[in-house]
Amino acid sequence: MSEFRSKVSIASTRNRALMDPSFGVVALLALVVIVMSIFQPSFKTSGNATNIINAMMTVSFLAIGMTVVLISGGIDLSVGSTMALTAGVAGKFISYGMNMYVAFIFALIVGALVGLVNGLLITKLAIPDFIATLAMLGIGQGIMLYWTQGVPILGYMSTPYYYIGGLRKILGPISIPMIVLVVVALVVSILLKKTNLGLYFYAVGSSSVSTRNAGVHVGRIKIWAYVISGLLAGIAGIHIAGRTTTIPPLIGNGYEISAIAAAVIGGASLLGGRGRVVGALIGALTLTLTRNIINIVGIASSWQAIVIGCVLIGAVLANRASEMFGKRISERTEKLNKRKVSA
Amino acid sequence: MNIASRVTRVLSIEGVAILGAFVLMVLYFSFSSDSFFVADSIRYYVNEAAPIFLITAGLTYVIIAGGIDLSIGAVLGLSAGTSLTFSMWGWPTWASALIGIATGLLFGVINAAIITFFKVNDFIVTLGTLNIAGGLLTVLTDHKQLVGTSDKNFMAIAGTMVFGVTTGIVIAILAVVVLEFALLQSSYGRRVYATGIGRLPAFISGIDVDKVKFQAYVISGGMAGLGGVVLAAHLNSVQSGLAGGYELTAIAGAVLGGVSLSGGRGSIWRAVVGALFLATLKQGLQLLGVDPLIYQIITGLCILIGVVLDRSVYNLALRISGRNLERNHQATTELSSV
Repeated sequence: MSEFRSKVSIASTRNRALMDPSFGVVALLALVVIVMSIFQPSFKTSGNATNIINAMMTVSFLAIGMTVVLISGGIDLSVGSTMALTAGVAGKFISYGMNMYVAFIFALIVGALVGLVNGLLITKLAIPDFIATLAMLGIGQGIMLYWTQGVPILGYMSTPYYYIGGLRKILGPISIPMIVLVVVALVVSILLKKTNLGLYFYAVGSSSVSTRNAGVHVGRIKIWAYVISGLLAGIAGIHIAGRTTTIPPLIGNGYEISAIAAAVIGGASLLGGRGRVVGALIGALTLTLTRNIINIVGIASSWQAIVIGCVLIGAVLANRASEMFGKRISERTEKLNKRKVSA
Repeated sequence: MNIASRVTRVLSIEGVAILGAFVLMVLYFSFSSDSFFVADSIRYYVNEAAPIFLITAGLTYVIIAGGIDLSIGAVLGLSAGTSLTFSMWGWPTWASALIGIATGLLFGVINAAIITFFKVNDFIVTLGTLNIAGGLLTVLTDHKQLVGTSDKNFMAIAGTMVFGVTTGIVIAILAVVVLEFALLQSSYGRRVYATGIGRLPAFISGIDVDKVKFQAYVISGGMAGLGGVVLAAHLNSVQSGLAGGYELTAIAGAVLGGVSLSGGRGSIWRAVVGALFLATLKQGLQLLGVDPLIYQIITGLCILIGVVLDRSVYNLALRISGRNLERNHQATTELSSV
């Protein structure tokens, strides 16, 4: 009896792993990492591992925020431009002579404000989320271009900012952004899993009508999702300003697409109601690893976009395949169990 | 039938507000800039925008069917590249044009096949094909600019004058009319709306929803291909990154014209008016000599104002006509009670 039970539990754990929305892409990543470590000695150096982790930070922050918005059934195209704007606020204010930490607070406030405006446009004025955030993308970019007159922002770096940007490590390979990322990931995970607000995000994303009928203020929940996304874009902005040591006005271009791709690769659904913080990190790792491998293997620059496109499609297909596979196996074990019970 | 009720009836046609805003904008630009309302100028910028109208028309099918196609801009660029390359190799005009359209159709089929057979997310798949098509164009042009076919007929695809307008515009208008007619009148068009309104009810009433979606993506790809040929013929030069971002103009234009991104609502003429609004705005700002650095701020604000205006005029008209209906109803019941 106990033997039977343990077999069942192993099977069910295995099935649950296969049913996991991002199992396919994790398996694919593991395979790629193993192959690369065997054939490319320069890939498995600790220096390269740190490179990969450093490079995935920015997208990770944005992808976590995007995941929250996607769970609540929205989409936020403005994150890249908001990140550039907050980086600009931090950089400019510091170069005006403001205390660095005060400038960071301003950057975070600007990020959260952009999120608030997005949320208000979408809920109060009933503008479709895609369009409202697309317009905010343009407005953010425009403000940044006009403010800087198209000239990159320089001269705001100081020793503490090198630490905050992760260019200097505090302990071995560990840098401040890594710690911040872990803290942010934990906080957002707990928010999503353990709080009412988190539950409401999933509820609104699954069905905003039934959530409203259940007496939840749907608009307010949606606004919170965009504010969180904006706030995380602010953190990403502070980080990227430190990492690149100069801020071109269009530094955030394309990041919104990377963030959405990372979130969806990690199992978030654009239809709402599904998504996890871990998934966002897995997605960010996938994108960063792809770029890293392209550089190490030395794929010609003109082929890079093609490889990235194939990886995107391959990742969602891998997730889909593992989902189908897991479903089939769980159906089969269910049938076996039924037969055993009836015998 | 008094005037007020006629006005509300016109206003309650969806898309009238955005059309009105467009007309106002054209008037404003023509009064404030001497060179705006000149036939040459209009012809030039509409010709420039003809490919955007083509992809907006194709994209509308996909959006109404409940999907999204981000790859159209890049596919348009790639089609322009392939058709111009073949024309430069000395292939006959019709063959080069066909190859451009075939490139678009091929990408439409790839999108459609992956999305409908494997049931994976359309946003990510078309984002993937966006990268692939953009990358292929970079490979094709090899970081250089493809300049100039000597085939006069190829350039004539977009540049011949017919009744005072160029063929590029004629092609765009024809495509919009044909696609709009098919969407509103054919049974396929009905099925597109049904699929977008609800997959399950459509499926239950016997519609092969996957097939409908498949065809919508192929139409969208085909229009991107056609747009590419028109653009290549218009510019007679192609470089990597061509037409990047057109998809966002097309999507924003469609939504501005009242096409719902959740599917099942919208029509092509309105989507194209939305795209025309954005194209004209850009052109007008250039002519007025507005600082290019704040183009995007103005465009963003105009998109927001446009969407809000369109919705609120429509809702207001509905409310007024609803009140009129109520009043009429009351009047008739009073009459009948007497």
